[in-house]
Amino acid sequence: MTSDAPTAPLVELVDVRKSYFSNRVETPVLHGINVTMQRGDFVAIMGQSGSGKSTLMNILGCLDTPTSGHYRLAGNAVDTLSRAELARLRNRTIGFVFQSFNLLKRMTVLDNVALPLIYASVSRSAARQRAFVQLEKVGLGEYAKRQPNQLSGGQQQRVAIARALVADPPLILADEPTGNLDTRTSSDIMAVLTQLNGEQEQSIILVTHEPDIAAYAQRLVRLKDGLVLYDGPSREGLRQMQAEQLTEQQEGDV
Amino acid sequence: MKFTQVLAESFRAMLANPMRTLLTMLGIIIGIASVVLMLAVGDGIKAFINKQLAVLGSNLVIVQADSRKAVGARLKTGSVQTLTLDDAEAINRLPSVTGAAPMLTTFSQISYGSDNSNNQVQGTTPVAFTIRNLRIAKGIALSDVDVASAARVAVLGKKVALQLFYKTDPIGQSIRIDNQSFQVIGVLDNEGQSFDVGDIGEVVMVPISTARVNLIRTPTARSVQYIVVQSKTTEGLNDMVADVTDLVRDRHRIRADDQDDFRIVNFGEFAKSGEAIATGLSIALGFVGAVSLVVGGIGIMNIMLVSVTERTREIGIRMAIGARPADVLWQFLIEAVSICLVSGIIGVALSAALAMAVTSTGKFEMAIGPKAVVIATVFSCVVGVFFGFYPARRASKLQPVECLRHE
Repeated sequence: MTSDAPTAPLVELVDVRKSYFSNRVETPVLHGINVTMQRGDFVAIMGQSGSGKSTLMNILGCLDTPTSGHYRLAGNAVDTLSRAELARLRNRTIGFVFQSFNLLKRMTVLDNVALPLIYASVSRSAARQRAFVQLEKVGLGEYAKRQPNQLSGGQQQRVAIARALVADPPLILADEPTGNLDTRTSSDIMAVLTQLNGEQEQSIILVTHEPDIAAYAQRLVRLKDGLVLYDGPSREGLRQMQAEQLTEQQEGDV
Repeated sequence: MKFTQVLAESFRAMLANPMRTLLTMLGIIIGIASVVLMLAVGDGIKAFINKQLAVLGSNLVIVQADSRKAVGARLKTGSVQTLTLDDAEAINRLPSVTGAAPMLTTFSQISYGSDNSNNQVQGTTPVAFTIRNLRIAKGIALSDVDVASAARVAVLGKKVALQLFYKTDPIGQSIRIDNQSFQVIGVLDNEGQSFDVGDIGEVVMVPISTARVNLIRTPTARSVQYIVVQSKTTEGLNDMVADVTDLVRDRHRIRADDQDDFRIVNFGEFAKSGEAIATGLSIALGFVGAVSLVVGGIGIMNIMLVSVTERTREIGIRMAIGARPADVLWQFLIEAVSICLVSGIIGVALSAALAMAVTSTGKFEMAIGPKAVVIATVFSCVVGVFFGFYPARRASKLQPVECLRHE
């Protein structure tokens, strides 16, 4: 694996297509996606269910590979990598934040945060030290020895953010990070992400279906039926979306 | 990922479902315990045989008067006493023989004061003490003078002395054997089963001449019932048996094509058959152990497959944050091996407890040696790897996307 100069795009999708096969019947989901993202970008991906949003998110997260097309992440040609190499790439390059937090039970909060470093072969003590620093940054240093299920939803998601950040990856991939949280906690979590993007120029991809949450991002990518419907500033994109919905409602009223 | 970390995680996983883990372990525990007990029983029997031989004299054979064809009909063994004191003396002179002791035995009433018991009385010569490894706890053994003078003296077995005299010193006391008075001159130190008279502690030994005169009626003045013979070496035992056979056949003037009128019982053969029993038992226990290990291993495989399914989401999370397929494989393989190793340790502990219980009865000694522990460890690991590999491989082949969708 090689890393290009920092000026190269962080994410580069060129005509990415994805089909699922069941009983040799092809079901195309993505019909050719072209998206480029620079370091420091904060991008929201929106789309209704069936739009290919989850599939795109899995490909972006190197959890799945495209059927055709090219995907370069931080200078790595993802579509040529083996499973072990993909695991290594995820470990070094991507921090995941999931809707359902996905912390491991039977493990302390600290060990959960340290786990990506453990898989990166960092020594246990060094990993715990760095994990603790990261936990303090999200304001949960005092909860280090707790089990995840002793924490509130918002706290668990902060732990997940600490875990995503601990290995210092260039990209955070947040999949509906506020989907299981109430409005107030949601804005807390979004504040943390916005701050990361603002102060540390952390690149973030945010997958959501809520316009309120997408509004935190600078850029919006809307998907429909496996194609990019809109790619531009989020304010503009969200306004368009609102207008469309209004039209649809009116048509429905008539 | 570091090995210790993986190990710590497998123990956490095992403790998450303690009851299920324990039940899964049972098969391996029983299997390992059987294997360890198999070794302990085998070793115990061999040690028991060796100890018996060491206590009662080794390299011994008995020359017995056998049935002789009388007018075509075979008579009962020992019914014709063809062996004589002279045979014993001739055998004694053979270069391959350490000593030969002629024997006359009978059951007699032994009494002292108001106490009495029925015991086996052996009439023999001083040679019997050396070749049978008999030690004197108190007093003295029979002497050649006692035999020559047909002295009414007796050496008591340990248990007989205890029964008749309890704490009193028996030496010099007068006892009655079949209502004839004998003076006690010694007490034996030996215990345990002998090959010819049962418990050596319950025997009363008197000079063979005295026995003949006072206790046992014999066909001729020089007849003996059997002769105990000791070979100089273990290796030379079979040669000695041949020497004795030739000598006695010659002395009894048996023609080359006629059968022996005596029988030689070789105790080395008994030891061999004892070892054969030990081997048979070992094989039986080993078979039980092997079956248990296979069944237990299948149990491990089953529970690991369940575990992989239950923890699909966990596998997905781990893969997402950087676990390679190999990391997942190791995690589940080490977990399976850990379960087996812990089962192995419990199995060894269980068999050690059982061995201790058996040993404490005093009838049989069983010891769990380092060999057994090493074998148990190796077997547990092998079972763990063999039956843990398939589930672990299955876990490592899972797709992260599908795992993360799994509820």
